[in-house]
Amino acid sequence: MASIITLPITLSPIPEGWSKPTPPSTPKLTPAIPRVVYPAGPSFVASARRQLLQRSFAEDDEHVLKVRAEAEKLAKAGEGEDEYPGLGLEEESQELLASDPKEWKKQDHYAILGLGHLRYKATDEHIKVAHRRKVLRHHPDKKAGASGSSTNDDAFFKCIQKAHETLTNPERRRQFDSVDWNIDDSVPDFHHIPAEDYCAIVGPMFAREARFSKIQPVPEFGGQDASKKEVEGFYDFWYNFDSWRSFEWHDKEVNEGSDSRDDKRFTEKKNKTERARRKKDDNTRLRELVDEVLAHDPRIKRIKAEEKAARDAKKKGGAGTTNGKPLTAAEKAAAAKKIKEEEEAKKEKEKKSSEASKADREAAKKAKEAARKNLKKWKKSIAGVITSSNYFLPDGTAPPASTVEKQLGELDTLCELLEPEEVKGLKEEVEKAGKDGAKDVLVNSVKALGDKGEGKFTEFA
Amino acid sequence: MCVELLGSTPAILGINFGQSYASIAVLDKEGHPTCIANEDGERQIACAIAYAGEEVYIGNGAKPHLVKNGKNTIMGFRNLLGHTYDQVDHTAIFTAPLIPESETPAYTVDILIPPPKIASAPGLRSAAASGTATPNPAALEPVPSTKTLTVPEVTTLFLSTLFASAIDFLGTKPTACVISAPTWFTHEQTDALKAAATAAGINVLQVLDEAAAVLVGYRVGLSEELEKRDKKVVVLDMGETSLGVSVIACSEGEYTVLGKGRDDKLGGREFDNLLLKHFAKEFTKKTKVPLDLPCAEGAPEADKRAEAKLRLAVEHTKRSLSASAGAATCAVESLKDGMDLSTSINRLRFDSLASSVYRQVGSRLTDIITSSGLSLLQIDEVLLAGSSTLFPGLQSHLSLLVQPTTPVTSTIDPSEVIAIGCALQALHLSTLDSALNLDEVLVLGKNEVLTLAKPIGICLPQLHTSNGDGNGAEMVKIIDIGAPLPSRRRVVIPTSGKGKYGVEIWEGEDEIKVTKIEKTETTKEKIEEDGEDEEDDDEEDEEIKTVITLRKTLLGSVEVEVEEGSVVLEIIVLRGGGMEVRAWEEGHEDRSEKFEM
Repeated sequence: MASIITLPITLSPIPEGWSKPTPPSTPKLTPAIPRVVYPAGPSFVASARRQLLQRSFAEDDEHVLKVRAEAEKLAKAGEGEDEYPGLGLEEESQELLASDPKEWKKQDHYAILGLGHLRYKATDEHIKVAHRRKVLRHHPDKKAGASGSSTNDDAFFKCIQKAHETLTNPERRRQFDSVDWNIDDSVPDFHHIPAEDYCAIVGPMFAREARFSKIQPVPEFGGQDASKKEVEGFYDFWYNFDSWRSFEWHDKEVNEGSDSRDDKRFTEKKNKTERARRKKDDNTRLRELVDEVLAHDPRIKRIKAEEKAARDAKKKGGAGTTNGKPLTAAEKAAAAKKIKEEEEAKKEKEKKSSEASKADREAAKKAKEAARKNLKKWKKSIAGVITSSNYFLPDGTAPPASTVEKQLGELDTLCELLEPEEVKGLKEEVEKAGKDGAKDVLVNSVKALGDKGEGKFTEFA
Repeated sequence: MCVELLGSTPAILGINFGQSYASIAVLDKEGHPTCIANEDGERQIACAIAYAGEEVYIGNGAKPHLVKNGKNTIMGFRNLLGHTYDQVDHTAIFTAPLIPESETPAYTVDILIPPPKIASAPGLRSAAASGTATPNPAALEPVPSTKTLTVPEVTTLFLSTLFASAIDFLGTKPTACVISAPTWFTHEQTDALKAAATAAGINVLQVLDEAAAVLVGYRVGLSEELEKRDKKVVVLDMGETSLGVSVIACSEGEYTVLGKGRDDKLGGREFDNLLLKHFAKEFTKKTKVPLDLPCAEGAPEADKRAEAKLRLAVEHTKRSLSASAGAATCAVESLKDGMDLSTSINRLRFDSLASSVYRQVGSRLTDIITSSGLSLLQIDEVLLAGSSTLFPGLQSHLSLLVQPTTPVTSTIDPSEVIAIGCALQALHLSTLDSALNLDEVLVLGKNEVLTLAKPIGICLPQLHTSNGDGNGAEMVKIIDIGAPLPSRRRVVIPTSGKGKYGVEIWEGEDEIKVTKIEKTETTKEKIEEDGEDEEDDDEEDEEIKTVITLRKTLLGSVEVEVEEGSVVLEIIVLRGGGMEVRAWEEGHEDRSEKFEM
């Protein structure tokens, strides 16, 4: 670029009588002298650029201006991001500045460092930079000179140091993150979420919970139309969730003054049980949350419906595919619609029929109930007949225990397989047939069972 | 006009490779070049390698070996680069002996080769033999042997340690590097240096002249405003062994060599010798042990040992002398015959000792300036480089020598400025325009460039009228001699209001004007009134010498109509000797008047 110097002289208007002096016929400069020019410095680079690219001064100026404008544009684009990407400036409220370093367990360490918007997402680099920034602003040495503040007020600086100490130690940071009360962990009422908003509301909730996972990355909740595999994978993960969340932060301090070892141990023990309790509570909370979410997940219903539709389609013998060709989207949609309509119709019908036959059904139900009660009675009387007939063996012979057992067992099976009404009929028949015909009746009834009783009976076969 | 850095700073290295000391500079996190210390915490790293048994010492750790183990210590190898054995003066070497190794000079050193079990390589830099017990202890004994290292090999070895230090500092391998070489290095020597550095795994962009590195390091002619764009500067580089003076015309940041010279006897070693002599005398006086240093030929072995010991100690004394105003101590245990030396010297004493050397430096400076066709008066700035220029005594001597308005600059530590300049140059070269090829750019620097022979300036019409005859009148210089062609200057000349203004363009010549200031009657009377004790002052009239530029040849003129504001004048001198002059009212470039030649 051309650098312009202002000369230390001032021009005055052309004096009277001055005319342009005419130089000698052909003015010439003294011939140039060849000398060594060091190939060094930016000016050499610029001159080399002009020479190699055969640019005149004006052309080179233009080029340099262009490059500079581009660089500025780039710099400006980067400026919005600040020098530390993602680390904006946070306001320091009066309340925050008045934090008491003694109450460090209750202080919000992220807010102290100006990382309130990042919290658990803040990287180590963020914390380092934020701490440096805060220290530069709040160091007691800096405040000493400022008027209007008491010189020994370094409470906030102590808070900063405590926050830095806590957040740079990975273990302490986890403890704080575990109980960070500034993160909203409220759970919405699942009953009242419209199905289309479900993912949008529940997704962030799980993204928030995911910070406690020992296994990273955590599967996302996914969208409305997530595949079955994704949804299943998600719930699978969350039912087997492995959390690092711990509750040391709430530990009670061992009483400083007491040297008593028992006292200390007692407190430690109490803390330990308290921690375990909280951990358990937290696990329960999460499990219940997942249960709840699963129960209300509209995607599950959708997937079930889809599966059913697929099954139906299969049953119809490839009806889903016309002429062996895969279904077009429109056809698919039509099929889905049809299925939906059918379902609705079915539902409607069911509803109607259920209303109509409600009374009938109730009566039937009562009868069934009664029959079930009587079932035992009937069975007993059949058994009585069998016993009295000496288990269908010739009189005088003592029936072997195995036969008795077998026969009674088979009777039980038979009664189970038959409807109560049928058992009643059987009993009547057996009683009618008496000792001698009872076996035949039973054999017949077994035969009537057909396939159902196949292989189950030996005595009454 | 440095290309502004975006994002992270590039890993760039500048190496000042001197005859006695080397230093390295990199860009720090903010993008500023800084000289860095090596692992031993030394910014000035001695160019020395010592072999002691199985161990190899490189850098400052090798220097003490000169005392006991001189014949296995290699020093002063840089200047031998690129020379054949016959070209090298190999008689006066008091370090490891030089031998011809197929034409190239080489050093031989005694080493111990570690037993083969532990290290298979002939233990160049392996640690001391450690290891497992073997049934045969004799096998563990290192084998005495000799090793031959050619000068390029030594250079490569040394540079690779510098490179390793830079890697340690940066955490990454520097991608670009510029190495300095003395002003008087021939092409063969430069190529040899480059080859040696490349063999050390360094990506050398350029081997840069030390004087150029100093200019780049001080950013001469590049700071915005305030500074003159065209000026003549002298780079005074005084290292351990030699003095180099370069007279440079700085033309808007381009550096044209007007003249240069060197004195390879005048260096920091001179100061060492003075101190040696001084301390030896003092030692003799205190202990009655005769010691005459520096040793002459054939001096007894004890004296030679004493000299080597004292030399090491004096190095520290010298450094503390230039660093702090207090007295600098010098202590050597058992200097000679079991007697210790413990003494100190203050700056005043030292300056009086060294005044002869100061004067020598001054006269060399004057000679070289004169031989380049200039006068001391025409020098606008003296730039200092090299550790020996750190002496405040030398600096004040130099500033008395030049015009009071001429600064003697050491704003950047002179011992670090070359390395810093190299780092900056590496930055400039590595951020080249994408359309440029580095090799092509550097080839341009190898050839001589046509430069302006006489200054070009302007005259105002009223000066012309006031001085009847035009010739001999003073003009305002716009372009100074030595400006590489093509060259362009733009100046703004304030005006006194609306009207028509004219400017004449002249070629001129520098001349020295001597003004005698005669004491006027009034002052004389005043003095008489004041008293008689000041009368001896007016024995001589004061002379003030200033440099003025007188116009010689008229080249042309331009006229500009101005509403208000200033006139902008642009002069472009083309390579063929042609010239374009344009003038316009500021802000109305389209309405310019011009003439061409």
